[in-house]
Amino acid sequence: MSKFNTIQYKKWIGMLLSCCLLCQGCTDLSEEVFSEVLEKDYRPAERDLPYILAPVYASFRSLMFGWQGYFDLQEESADHIITPVRPNGWDDAGTYRRMHQHTWNAVQWQPYNTWQQAYASITKANLVIMQIEDGSLPLPADVGNAAIAELRAARALAYYLLLDNHGNVPIVTDYRDVSLPDQKNRKQLYEFVVNELQEVIPMLSEDVEPMYGRMNVWAARALLAKIFLNAEVYIGTPAWENVIEQTDIIINANKYRLDTDYKNVFSSTNHGSPEIIFAVPYDEVYGHGSQIHMKTLDPLSRLVYNMAAGPWGGNCAVPQFIDTYDADDQRLYDSWIQGPQYHATTGELVINYVKSVPGIGGDGTVAPSNAGYRIGKYEIKKGATNNLDNDYPMFRYADILMMKAEALLRTGKENAAAELVSAVRERAFRSNPEKAVVTGADLLKGSVYNYGWQDKDGTVSGTGGGDIRYGRFLDELGWEFTAEAHRRQDIIRFGVFQTKSWFNHNPHPNAISRTLFPIPNDELNKNPKLTQNPGY
Amino acid sequence: MIPLRTIIYIFCLFLLSHGARGQERTQLKGRVLDAEGNPVAHVSLRIQSSDTGTSSDSDGNFNLLYRRGDTLGVSAVGYISQTISLMSQTDLTVTLLKSQDALDEVIVVGYGTQKKGEVTSAIASVKAEDFTQGTVKDAGQLIQGKVAGLRITTPNGDPNSTSQINLRGLNSINGSQNPLVIIDGIPGSLNTVAPEDIESIDVLKDGAAAAIYGTRATSGVILITTRRNNATENRTAITYNNYANIQTLFRRPDMLSAADYRRLIAEGEAYTDLGATTDWIDEVTQQPFSHNHNVALFGGNNRTNFTGSVNYRNWEGVLLKSGQERLNVRAELNHDMFDGKLKSNMQVINQSIKALQGGASDYMWRQAIIRNPTDRVFNEDGKWQERDAYMYDNPLSMIHESVNDRVFRETRLNGSLDYRPVDGLSVKMLLSRVQENDLYGSSTSFDHVNTTKNNLNGTASRTTYAATENLMELTATYNKTFGQHKVGALAGYSWQDRTSENFYAYNFDFPTDNYSYNKLESGMALQRGMAQMTSYKDKWKLAGFFARLTYSYKERYMIMASVRREGSSTFGENYKWGSFPAISLGWDMAKEEFLAENELIGQLKLRAGFGVTGTIASSSYMSQTSYNFQQGQGAYINGRWVPGFVPSRNFNPDLRWEKKYEYNVGVDFSMLNNRVYGSLDYYSRRVRDLLYQFNVPSPPYLYSSMMLNAGEMSNQGFEALINVDVIQRGDWKWKTTLTFATNKNKLINLSNEQFNVTVPFFEAGYTGEPIQMSTHRVEVGRAIGDFFVWKTVGVDENGKWLIENRAGETIPIADASPDDRQYYGNGIPDANIGWNNSFSFRNIDFSFSFRGAFGHQVLNMTRMYYENPVNKAYNALKTAYDPVYGKRLTNDLVYVSHYIEDADFLKLDNVTFGYTFKPGIVKGIDRLRIYVSGLNLLTITGYKGLDPEATSYTGDFTFAPGIEHRDRYPTTRTFTAGLNVSF
Repeated sequence: MSKFNTIQYKKWIGMLLSCCLLCQGCTDLSEEVFSEVLEKDYRPAERDLPYILAPVYASFRSLMFGWQGYFDLQEESADHIITPVRPNGWDDAGTYRRMHQHTWNAVQWQPYNTWQQAYASITKANLVIMQIEDGSLPLPADVGNAAIAELRAARALAYYLLLDNHGNVPIVTDYRDVSLPDQKNRKQLYEFVVNELQEVIPMLSEDVEPMYGRMNVWAARALLAKIFLNAEVYIGTPAWENVIEQTDIIINANKYRLDTDYKNVFSSTNHGSPEIIFAVPYDEVYGHGSQIHMKTLDPLSRLVYNMAAGPWGGNCAVPQFIDTYDADDQRLYDSWIQGPQYHATTGELVINYVKSVPGIGGDGTVAPSNAGYRIGKYEIKKGATNNLDNDYPMFRYADILMMKAEALLRTGKENAAAELVSAVRERAFRSNPEKAVVTGADLLKGSVYNYGWQDKDGTVSGTGGGDIRYGRFLDELGWEFTAEAHRRQDIIRFGVFQTKSWFNHNPHPNAISRTLFPIPNDELNKNPKLTQNPGY
Repeated sequence: MIPLRTIIYIFCLFLLSHGARGQERTQLKGRVLDAEGNPVAHVSLRIQSSDTGTSSDSDGNFNLLYRRGDTLGVSAVGYISQTISLMSQTDLTVTLLKSQDALDEVIVVGYGTQKKGEVTSAIASVKAEDFTQGTVKDAGQLIQGKVAGLRITTPNGDPNSTSQINLRGLNSINGSQNPLVIIDGIPGSLNTVAPEDIESIDVLKDGAAAAIYGTRATSGVILITTRRNNATENRTAITYNNYANIQTLFRRPDMLSAADYRRLIAEGEAYTDLGATTDWIDEVTQQPFSHNHNVALFGGNNRTNFTGSVNYRNWEGVLLKSGQERLNVRAELNHDMFDGKLKSNMQVINQSIKALQGGASDYMWRQAIIRNPTDRVFNEDGKWQERDAYMYDNPLSMIHESVNDRVFRETRLNGSLDYRPVDGLSVKMLLSRVQENDLYGSSTSFDHVNTTKNNLNGTASRTTYAATENLMELTATYNKTFGQHKVGALAGYSWQDRTSENFYAYNFDFPTDNYSYNKLESGMALQRGMAQMTSYKDKWKLAGFFARLTYSYKERYMIMASVRREGSSTFGENYKWGSFPAISLGWDMAKEEFLAENELIGQLKLRAGFGVTGTIASSSYMSQTSYNFQQGQGAYINGRWVPGFVPSRNFNPDLRWEKKYEYNVGVDFSMLNNRVYGSLDYYSRRVRDLLYQFNVPSPPYLYSSMMLNAGEMSNQGFEALINVDVIQRGDWKWKTTLTFATNKNKLINLSNEQFNVTVPFFEAGYTGEPIQMSTHRVEVGRAIGDFFVWKTVGVDENGKWLIENRAGETIPIADASPDDRQYYGNGIPDANIGWNNSFSFRNIDFSFSFRGAFGHQVLNMTRMYYENPVNKAYNALKTAYDPVYGKRLTNDLVYVSHYIEDADFLKLDNVTFGYTFKPGIVKGIDRLRIYVSGLNLLTITGYKGLDPEATSYTGDFTFAPGIEHRDRYPTTRTFTAGLNVSF
């Protein structure tokens, strides 16, 4: 190798090294982002509003029908639905038994799930309100104001769920403020939600169909009526007149009416039902989350519906509740899957669901896989996947009529109440119209529910329901709204939750404390400003 | 193209190099002396080609016969071995130099090498001759039980899995627990190169050693050096290694048989007799046969040399239709120019893995265990017999009606230029690119339960993943000796970036299942909106500046100091850069005057070191303020479904480095002429600013957890490595090595002042349904790995568990609340030992190793789920009907302490028996050895499960170690026969 070449080589290496050392990129560690939208690179506009609003509502899907969600929280703690131990499991460390027997504590998952989803919706609403207010989401003033009103109403809905279930919780309305929030008591929360709704109602849309699945003025008033209906539970003072006022506004607006067929309200195409005021929309393709059929059906029922998924086989009806139905009440058959079930194509007998259930389990009792009627209220269409199409009707017109009826009944106008109740019953007794009619005197009777402890052989020992004030009206609520996540709230209002036995449930020694769920342990640990609800 | 041409070239050289050999024998008389001129007795003198020889007498004299051209090997304990070419000598004086064998050994340290005698930090080095022999999955298994403090286990028998590795306990919550693996200077993984291609493995254990690798080094650094042609003279060689093995199930769960079912039915148990007799475990397993071939070529001259290897492996798994085929090709070329002033190196490694598998999943294994043994495989129509029960599918239909194919290709290209303008100075540039392509295809046929039960009409998906990783390093090193002073300096810069991309598509409802996954568009689910598709891309960058100084005086006093300044793109704008200093000192007392005369002690080096290493955020973008459109956050707005626009996370632009501060003190010793040597270490490490997915209050935060720097964790432990050359007399050799390590972990706190959050504990691990409880609790002030469980103290007359409640009273389990759970055992062993032995006698070699772990418990999930007679829908263990506390259990399945067992074990892990033929027995073959070997042969334990070591401590089990999961690929016992040949 000649010397010349060596020098050339050295020079070349030197150049290469200095190039590398001097290049700007050597210490440039800014992130290159491909699969996320950076806040600084994104300029939203009015057309983006649907995307930005959507997450506020999305939380309600997993909240309502999600795994161990709000539905289970309201139904399994009440007297209609149980999840007994089955041959294929369903003990799950006693979580369903604790729901049934009110022995839950602060680590019980079901109440925490509702807490998390409600606050997720609240925080997302706070975020969008902030973005509209600070101009990072630039909107024309009218659009912006309407959006803020809607967001506040949706947020109030989420706070209502917390008011009903946890009672004493923090109120956060500013997304920027991430300091540990103070806990408010149930009365403060009640006042906050009522004030918010009353403030935004004048700004909310009166449209029905374009606002389907969103908070319009009617949904806000239905919510307000619901809160007033339970005011005595929430703050100790009833507000029956306010219930009547709000329900009357909805009734007189003539925007909604009872559907001709009860089944339509819960069908896989129930979006079209004229009865639904506010629904949480679900969709087999776009809006996953309704797996109510998966939890209730035995795996064999797959063959009956030709399903594209294998159901899990869990919850079913409390036999004592089924016994309360009039055999001619069409709702018994529209709400519960019962008796022999046949193969979708061959017609062979697949499974025969029987009414009796030996027990909740935990004492070695295992409920046979066909024990108990299954939730059939939400139509399971042939070929269903593990996500149902049916929307969950949170507020519907029958509820408006029944809220008004209850307020009338409780204010001494039982005959007026009976008229409304009869109207709601009418479609359930098409073949025996005379049975649809109830009188004011009927509504003053006790309940026909045979409250008491059920032994394995099905015998019930207890006080029955005859002593329950307005018990018959509570029965009416049960028949009409069973499996709609109403029951816990209703039986608390009628005092049954705290005092009665049903199935394998006896009143909790500190029953009054059970009307509120505990503040979740995890949240207590994270926020020292929170104190636990009494009795936990 | 160069490799191929060179291969041919070397092959030609090889063919030409065979010359004729002389036949007449010559008498040689000689004497062996040491450096001082004293005679050395018992020196072995062997003619290598004929394997004859003698040894020196007490005056150092010897006599032997040789043929012209023979090579004489001279060796003795405590001296450096020599080889001498014998041409025409008749008398010979051999001067043996005292070996500092162990001390002169070269250790690979970060960005360079060091003499073992001068190392001041905790570094373990394992050379090829000490590796585990026989069937070895990856580099990890090669050194299993051979490095104190490095815990390596094989949690399952899946031929596609790699070994699990952990150094000095759990040191990060969110960061990777896997050590940084560097192969010839380039980051890679334990299976980047074939085990047969590895020359040595060095493990940087303490902070002082690892700190030069800064942010990736908290879990330690494993430096793999591949076999290469280090000859400075003309040399060509070819080696061929091959082995074949069979595997059997290590243990099988002892489930009820069909006969047991019938007996129990007769006794009145509510099982169903379906009329057949099937052993489902037999049905889903096979007798796998695997083979492995490795050819390596070394060639070249003093200017240019070449190393190439081809490794082919075809492994079958013990579960039906599982296995892997792998081809590794490696070529390396070195060239010297300008009288050694410029050294260039090029290396190409290509790896392709093909796994064409059926549906032998962990979940399938569960189905084989729980399936009714009186059920049949096929129904009367010749179709798979399925049953409509929850989570209950025919395991054979899962295996045979699923396709799970994977083709992985990795190409690693790297090159370096090393310029040495003056003596002692080297300036080096290293460039590397690694490209990975991973392609998966999965499908299920019309006879799979997806269709026969769930009406999906065939499913198919494809997944592809690609990554490109670039590395550039510039280093300058200067090493110089000035009299008694030896100085070394290193400065460097490193840049690394990695871009990853993936794509996934899934469809179902196909008109035919003939397409498998090869025509996704023919599925109708796509049109119906039910198909799935995802894609993703991310990138991270890492830049570092580093420097190191070493100084030693008379090899007696040593000091090393280093610092790395490193920046990562994954951290917040103001916290991208961190500094990672290290310092260590060494004092070899044996070199001091007062010990210099001592014959007993060859080395007594005290070491002390301190170093800081870091842990990078486990994924990119954790510090970004960003949003995503998500379908799951969508809603029905204005008459149509739209995706929702949501924050990707709770924002934390202050995310910064997690740092580990480690003190290590140790001693390296050697005694009795290096016949006994080893090291002892004590370490204390503390991790600060733990990166943790912290639970934050919600409200006010949107998400209930976010990545924060919070908390502290400590680990302390003692490690010992002792090597003893027990026998080294003539033909007899016995070397034994003992490793011992302890570890004690403690979570000191979990809190973050900025976010005003403190976590006293969090729950970890999950039993799965139908039990649905967490298994572990991680609490501040306690060690990771504590089980948290209802403690059983008996069974009542009804067969229900009695447990001990919070107040210490015995209560029925029906009254137990989650608050009654208590700590019960820990899944991480307090101590791990390894004991390795190798013997040789003439041509025979024999080795065996034991491994053990002590002071830990394992949750036996198989018993928890199947040792209970209540659940008649699924099969149970034979022991399910045995009385517990004298009663028959009638309790529902539940997670209780009864199933947590002491899991101390001692395993006879690897036994190898080899025979080396005399050289020249086959013409042209230098060395020929055959061997048989067994892996995972015997376990001595009181643990009742299948394998006490088959627990995972990574991923989901990082905080839930010590669970022998019911759903897993079972571990196996392996028997191997192999052949090593060199030409």
